[in-house]
Amino acid sequence: MITMSYRIAGGDFEAAGLATRRLKEQLARIGVGAAVMRRVMIASYEAEMNVVIHARTGTLWARVDGGKLDLEVADEGPGIPDIELALQEGWSTASAKAREMGFGAGLGLPNIRRNSDLFEVETRVGKGTRIRSTILLAQSEGAVVSTTAAEAGSVSIATARCRGCLRCIFACPTAALRVHSAGPVLLPELCIGCAECISECAAGVYGISEKGPASAEELAVPTDAVLVVSRGFLSGFPVADAPSRVLAALRALGYAEIRLLEEWSAALLAESRSRARTAGVPLPLIPPVCPAVVALVESRYPSLIPNLGPWLSPAEAAGEEFPLRPVVLAAACPAQYSAVGTASLTDRLTVISPVRLAEAVRARLPAASAPESAPTAPRGEPAQMPGELIGSGVRHVMRILSAAEAGGLPGVTLLDLSLCDGGCAGSPLLSAEPCLSRQRWRQSAESWREEARSDAAAIHRARPYAQRGGVRLDPDMGTAVRALSRIDALTRTLPGRDCGACGAPACALFAEDVVMGRADPAACPHAAPHGPTTEARQ
Amino acid sequence: MKIDELAKLIGAQLYSLPGQSCGEVTRVHASDTMSSLIANASADTLLVTSLNNNQLVRVAELMGAPGLCLVGGAEPCPELLSLARTTGAAIVVSPHGLDETRRLIESRLSRVERPGA
Repeated sequence: MITMSYRIAGGDFEAAGLATRRLKEQLARIGVGAAVMRRVMIASYEAEMNVVIHARTGTLWARVDGGKLDLEVADEGPGIPDIELALQEGWSTASAKAREMGFGAGLGLPNIRRNSDLFEVETRVGKGTRIRSTILLAQSEGAVVSTTAAEAGSVSIATARCRGCLRCIFACPTAALRVHSAGPVLLPELCIGCAECISECAAGVYGISEKGPASAEELAVPTDAVLVVSRGFLSGFPVADAPSRVLAALRALGYAEIRLLEEWSAALLAESRSRARTAGVPLPLIPPVCPAVVALVESRYPSLIPNLGPWLSPAEAAGEEFPLRPVVLAAACPAQYSAVGTASLTDRLTVISPVRLAEAVRARLPAASAPESAPTAPRGEPAQMPGELIGSGVRHVMRILSAAEAGGLPGVTLLDLSLCDGGCAGSPLLSAEPCLSRQRWRQSAESWREEARSDAAAIHRARPYAQRGGVRLDPDMGTAVRALSRIDALTRTLPGRDCGACGAPACALFAEDVVMGRADPAACPHAAPHGPTTEARQ
Repeated sequence: MKIDELAKLIGAQLYSLPGQSCGEVTRVHASDTMSSLIANASADTLLVTSLNNNQLVRVAELMGAPGLCLVGGAEPCPELLSLARTTGAAIVVSPHGLDETRRLIESRLSRVERPGA
């Protein structure tokens, strides 16, 4: 994978097009073919001119990864009040100077969309615009650069720490884990990034991948960086007056601004409440507050995909809030990491493990002081509206989604669901005990400041939700049916103890692993002396 | 057809450095909007326009178009000529209007016998 970035100066018609020209030079060096190059040039030039014509400044990023080329152009500018209108040919707000030069015909965004295999525009009035374009490479060009599944994963596994206790395979709600003699194996197509394995493993095998420093000592903070953390991080330290002191320590680390993820969660819920009252919206509406819930719906409850609210998750929205400043996200779970990682290809957004950030904070925690303006009474949780159902914790959420799928939630218009207990504060990466963490937060002065200052907003998502293919045995239905038949036959030959000794959490899943070539048939210690019958395996 | 030959045939003036070789074109596209020009530009297209700025050359360069034809006898602006010299794009100035120039070029190109045609 390679990523390139180029700055674009707004209003500079002399230098306009230089970023795209430099991109062309680099793409030519890695062998991008003429047909793809033509489409890239049109999309890139139009997006670059969009910045020159309308914005103060911007940046163009390009990434070649496997079989596709991603372009992303973000700017600080006026934003687009009506995207649907802007996508119509002939609509433009370009200046007279730009029109004199032949721009402003209202064909720029349509040109980009026409030359893209995937196209997205995200914009905030008064803040800026981000355009994303994905262009698939021809098959012969796909070998230019490749990536591995391991690079794309968001769960880190320290194999050497594994004691083989098997708790993780039973904790994983989507049966994405196996423990073999060589250590744990994650099936990435099944993983929803929920942090259950992290919570369950006492040996600390599982963690969150991070694109950042190797140790707390190397925690270099970029200039003018914005840190986005869950409030559970601020109140997760078992010390008096924790949020204020943790904030001070984070500022001492060099972060110019510290924002709470919950600001975007609150904005998302407010938008959701409004949408849930709109006629024709599938109910109950599920706002994408928790990206692990979104992944769960996409993989296990696809009939509820139309119920997912059409916005970015809070972590993605926070990343969009500052188009050109470095943003550091202390991801509360692997799902947040994945959501942010797939949402943006910019190198200005860094994801770090909250565990590593906590190590750095501990070294800088100032002495305790009296709270500045401690509230006289704890603040209550956000008001729950009639028709809203708040649920958290994997088991509860799965039961709620099952009920919703079966039409068993009459009168419920909105599902506010989080896979961690009590929301992000319940992440095992943030605090040992979420109830204490929440109590500390409610009693802190910071909890009052948060509401007063936030200008966070929900951001419409351009990329549609889609069913995840992880549970399908094969893209071809006929092949999948034959595989299922073999799995059923093999399962009948197994003892049905679901003991986990084979490394899979259930006999049926072990049978599936064998048929799919992921497990050795002899791994079941309770089967016939020579393993499952040959007939069943074929 | 080579751009310098085409320029002679339609009575246009060629701006190029001494010794600069002119590329060949088989297609023509005329427009006064940059989006239309870039969307239709290619390595064998002569772009015809009544615009007159350096971004024309940038578009030609990005799309690999070998030359540009300005119309109405317009004097190419210095920035355009300067960039064209850097990138090697041929600049042609037609005395005719946009539509007439396009029609004349199409007419000439259609008479060219192409290998295998």
